[in-house]
Parts: sequence; C-alpha cells; structure tokens
Amino acid sequence: MTGVALGALLVPLFAGAVVWFIPERLSGPVAFAALAVGGAGALVLAVPVLAGEPLRAVDGLVALDALGAFVLVITVLVAAIAAAGSPAYLDHERALRPRDRGRYWALLLWFIGGLLTVPLFDNLGLVWVAIEATTIVSALLVGFARTPAAIEAAWKYLILGSVGIGFALLGTLLAYASSIELLGETSDALDWTRLMAVAPGLDPGLVRLAFIFALVGYGTKTGLAPFHTWLPDAHSQAPSPVSALLSGATLTLSLYALARFHLVATGTLGPGFSSTSLVVFGVLSLAVALPFIVAQGDLKRLLAYSSIEHMGLGAMALGFGGPIALGGLVLHLLAHGLTKASLFIAGGGLVERGRSRRIARLSGSLTQDPVDGRAFLGGALLLSGLPPSALFVSEIAILFGGFSAGWSVPAAIAAVLLALAVAGFLFHAGRVSFGVPRIRSTDRPAPLRAIVLGAPLAAVVVLGVWTPQPLAVAIERVVAVLGGSGV
Amino acid sequence: MTPTILIDVCAAGIVVLSVLLAVTRSIGRSIWLVAAQAALGAVAAIGVGISLGLGHLVLAGVLAFGAKVVVYPLILRAMLRASSVSVERHPYVGPRLSLVAAIAIVFAASAGTADLDLPASLGGSRALPAAIAAMLTGLFLMMSRRKVLSLLIGLLVFENGLSLAAFALTYGMPLVVELGILFDLLIVVIVGWVYARRMLRVFGTLSTDDLRSLRG
Repeated sequence: MTGVALGALLVPLFAGAVVWFIPERLSGPVAFAALAVGGAGALVLAVPVLAGEPLRAVDGLVALDALGAFVLVITVLVAAIAAAGSPAYLDHERALRPRDRGRYWALLLWFIGGLLTVPLFDNLGLVWVAIEATTIVSALLVGFARTPAAIEAAWKYLILGSVGIGFALLGTLLAYASSIELLGETSDALDWTRLMAVAPGLDPGLVRLAFIFALVGYGTKTGLAPFHTWLPDAHSQAPSPVSALLSGATLTLSLYALARFHLVATGTLGPGFSSTSLVVFGVLSLAVALPFIVAQGDLKRLLAYSSIEHMGLGAMALGFGGPIALGGLVLHLLAHGLTKASLFIAGGGLVERGRSRRIARLSGSLTQDPVDGRAFLGGALLLSGLPPSALFVSEIAILFGGFSAGWSVPAAIAAVLLALAVAGFLFHAGRVSFGVPRIRSTDRPAPLRAIVLGAPLAAVVVLGVWTPQPLAVAIERVVAVLGGSGV
Repeated sequence: MTPTILIDVCAAGIVVLSVLLAVTRSIGRSIWLVAAQAALGAVAAIGVGISLGLGHLVLAGVLAFGAKVVVYPLILRAMLRASSVSVERHPYVGPRLSLVAAIAIVFAASAGTADLDLPASLGGSRALPAAIAAMLTGLFLMMSRRKVLSLLIGLLVFENGLSLAAFALTYGMPLVVELGILFDLLIVVIVGWVYARRMLRVFGTLSTDDLRSLRG
C-alpha cells in the first residue's frame, strides 16, 4: 500500500514530461488527472501518520512523521486550490503564446510534484535538493508572462533564491560535519531522526554555525526580513495560481525545513540560541512588512507583504515554543495556506477584470464581480484574524503562548504590529471592495469558481469555531514533534 | 602527495583565482577563471577519492568536472556571443577597490573560522577558510557587478566555494545528495540561460540596469 501511494505521489513529476509534448487541448485534463492521483497518494501516506503511525519506507529514504504529514496535507490542499484556479488564468492571460498552455501545465505539475516530495525525506540533504528543485521550476513559472516586470522578478528570484539556498546547503553540510564523528561517514548521518537521537552529543560550535546558515538560507525562502526582498516581486508577478502555491505551500515548506534545523540546534545547544534568533527575525519581518502593507498600492504586492508578516509570526511561534504557541503555529500554517491561496486566486480574477494591479483601479469589486469580489472581501476579513476566523484562534494562541513562555516583550510588540497591519490591510481591502465601480462588471454565473474559492474560506471559518477531533489529535502529534519529543 | 596537501594546494589555487576574478573586467576571461576554479575543486575531489578509495567522491568529482568545466563554460560562451556586452564596463565597485575587498574577505574568512573545532577525521585541512572566502567573493561579485553574465559568474564562484566547503568538511556528502546538488546546479544555469535569452529579446541588452522597475 505504501509503495503504491508513493508511486502515486510521484505521478505529477512524470506526467509533467508527458504534458509538455501532448496536444494542448489534452494538457489540462491530463494534468488534473495526474494531480488527483498525486494528491490522493499524498493523503493516503499522510492520514495514517497523523492518526499515530509514523512511516518509514524505501530503506529509511522516505520517513514521514506527524510534522511532515501535516505540511504535506497543507501542500495538497493549496495545490488543489491553485490547480482549480489555473484554467481561468489561462483563459484570460493575454500574454500567452502558442503552446504556452501545455508548458504551463507541465511546469505546474513539476512544481507541485516537487513540493509534495519535500516533507517525505528524512535526509536533510535531500530536503535541500527538493526545495532547490522547486525553486528553479517555480522561477520559470514566475516569469511565465514574459513581461519585462515578470522577467525582472523571475531573475531576482532565481539569483537571490539560489544564493539563499546555497547558504542553506552550507548549513546542511555543517550539520553533516557535526555528526560524522558520532554517526560515521554514512548516508544516514544526515537523517534528521538520527541527528535528533544524538543531538546532545553533537559539536556545539558546528551546530550553531549550521543553524545560522540554515536560518539565512531557509529564512530567505521563507521570506523572513531582511532576506525577503525577492518575495514581493516574485509573488506579485507570478501567475495568480503560482502566487497561491508560493505563498501557501513553498513558504510553509521552507519554514518546515527551518524547524528541522531549529529542533536539532535546540537538542544540542539548549533552548536559548535558535529560539531567540527565530523570535528576533520574526519580529523584524513583522516590522519590515508593516509600512509596505499600510502604504501599498498594488493588490498582489499587498498579499505578498501579508505573507511576510504571517511567516514572521510563524517564525516567532516556532521560537516561543511550548504547546500553546506551537499548536497555534500548526493551525496558523493550515489556515494561512487556505486563506492566502483563495485570496490570490480571487485577487487574480479582480486584477484580470480591472486590467490593473493598482488597488485604486479595482474599486467597487464587490458589486461588479459577485464571486471574486465576495471571496476577496471574505478572505481579507479572515486573513486579518477577525473572529470567527481560524487565524483569530491561531494568532491569539501564538501571542498568548509567547506571553506565558516568558517572551512578553516580543509578543507585545508583535501584537501591536499585527493590529496595525490588520488596519492597513483592511483599509486596502475596503478600497477594493467598495467605492466607485472601476472594474468591468460581470454577472456570468460561476458556480464552480464559487466553490473553489468559497470552500477553503468556509473551512477556515469552521476551524475558527470548532476543531474536529481527528484534527485536534493530529495537531497534538505535530506539536509533540515540534516540542522535540515525538520523533 | 597526501590528501591533505592536495586539498590545501587546490584550496589555495581557488582563493587566488577568486581574487583574480574580483579584478577582472573581461567577461570572457572570467568564464575561464571560474572554470579553472571548478577544475581545481574537481581535481581535489578525484585525487582524494582515489587515494582514500572513496568511490562516491571520485564519481562526484568526475561529474562536477563535466558539468562545471565543460558544460557551464560552453553555455556561458554561447550567452557571451549572443550579447553585445563583453566587458564589465562600469561595475558599482572598480577593480582597485575590488582587489582590496577580495583580500579583506580572505582575511575575514580565515579569522572567522579560526576557532572552529573541526572533526579530526579530516586531518586538519585548511580548506574551510578558503571555501568561505570563495563564497563571499562570489557574493561580492554579484553585488558589485551590473551585467547578467557577471552575476551568473558570481553565482558560480559562490558555488565553487560551496563545493569546496562540502568537501573540506566531510570529504563529500552522501552520493545521492551530491547527485541531487549537481543536478540542481545544472538546471540553475540552464534556467539562467533561458532568462538571459528572454532579457536579450525584451530589453535588448544583458545589463541589470533595466531590472529596476519593481519597488515598494
């Protein structure tokens, strides 16, 4: 069963090569079929793990614990939203050339297929390889529209992403160097479970250095300030479904990789060093994102800076530690992924209809575009953490966890910064939703799109008031891993 | 020659080439310098692999040689021919100041790694400071140059330092990881090539001066 599911998970990667060459009209359906198989495979692997049975397969090459399984589920959900939003993007994008449709689906399959493999590896070197591979494929998607701005964004993303992730590789190397005296020069000396088992005996100097480089490297990919400069460009210039994946899935997976290093560092050095670093860079990210959110004129950049803000809060939660903040973090990553992905798809629809990314030119979208306009406003309210959003629960839990774990000053600063960012974000969302209608109106019924956009947002509302028992158990297991105990 | 001496000699060569790269303005010459740097790294890996009987290291070295000494220069030369820019004419930092910066980087790298307690299994190789110096020089090149090709060359210098670090710290990563890394690097260069061609088509030049529209 595991073998079949693993094979299914790899289907999107292979299907990408097929879709590149088959006739254009077949590319969409084949891609959807491949993604459905891949997603089903991922869920078949992840759900039993979340129910309490960690997975090891292929001689330990594949190892899935609750943390990996949870981010795998988030990836599947975000990928589903992005794929469902893709046909509308392709139908309306004016810069497409012949054969671009097939290429888009092929690249999207490779991107999603790559993302799905990231949580599977126990070996930190292979985690790096998978994240780097998705970076490169997504660079091709960021510049897909071939406008000068898109090429600029893709170039920055490729270069800064490569340098950043180069540092993450150096961190991985140092982790390997710190362990080979204990574990020997074997291929499993980079396995996270082995590293955790011997963490107290690792060389502290090397582990500290390894964490610093991993923080710079995966912090760049997570969009932590001051390494975030590529993010607003890439996330705003990419096709909207790709923006959804970048914000909802790749940022989550990069934070996931950083969390693995944080746990090893905590095991070796004790709780002080890496936690403090994460909290500092988290607060810095909130502070850096705030002015750009408040003074933002571009709809997709607004969403991108909001991602920096939310990842900053995620890094802080990781640094705070303790079951409350970590539980908040787990819920936060899920709810942020769902909400942000829907917002990028809805926002992309508005941008297409207004023929502009400028917020000032998109006003009145609530009445002009019932489906996307409503989804955008609803998503914006949920993303702002107003009750009954799950993000309300998660943010309160993270801040409360910070206070109760003795991080009062950073938690208080974060609370103020978050409140200001919410005010700025909602102000812009209001400008888009209300006011003089400036975007073209549509009354074309779009029931399918309403479901694609509405279902994730509805889920975020439900999670804000009620946590189903299996999910609560799953979150508990993830928190156990993040707490360093439930390997 | 013992493995340690071989590594030290190659590491020294890599540092010297980094400094030369920092003062060179001809992009054509830079392509050869960075290839020579990669060749030194690959030779060190192959030599140490043979003398210690580490098959995976030899294989990784041979593959790295093929990719970085044969394939990358070919791609970069093709890009150079396609663009009209062959000299980094107005870098943000001129050659003299670059020389000072490159030397400062070498000293900073050796000072910064002086008190590290490296695993004894590696025979006290001094390659780590050299590797970090090459990485930082690559970063410096990327920050101080304007041309797209110079940026890619800076990235490759950074990568050469990184692979030397890999090698100095651990005598190579597990083979499956090495293969993945090489594969990723190859695609980075190819994607860089794809975008350089698009830039030529859209902007007409390969200068990053045109890449300044996204702000705020």
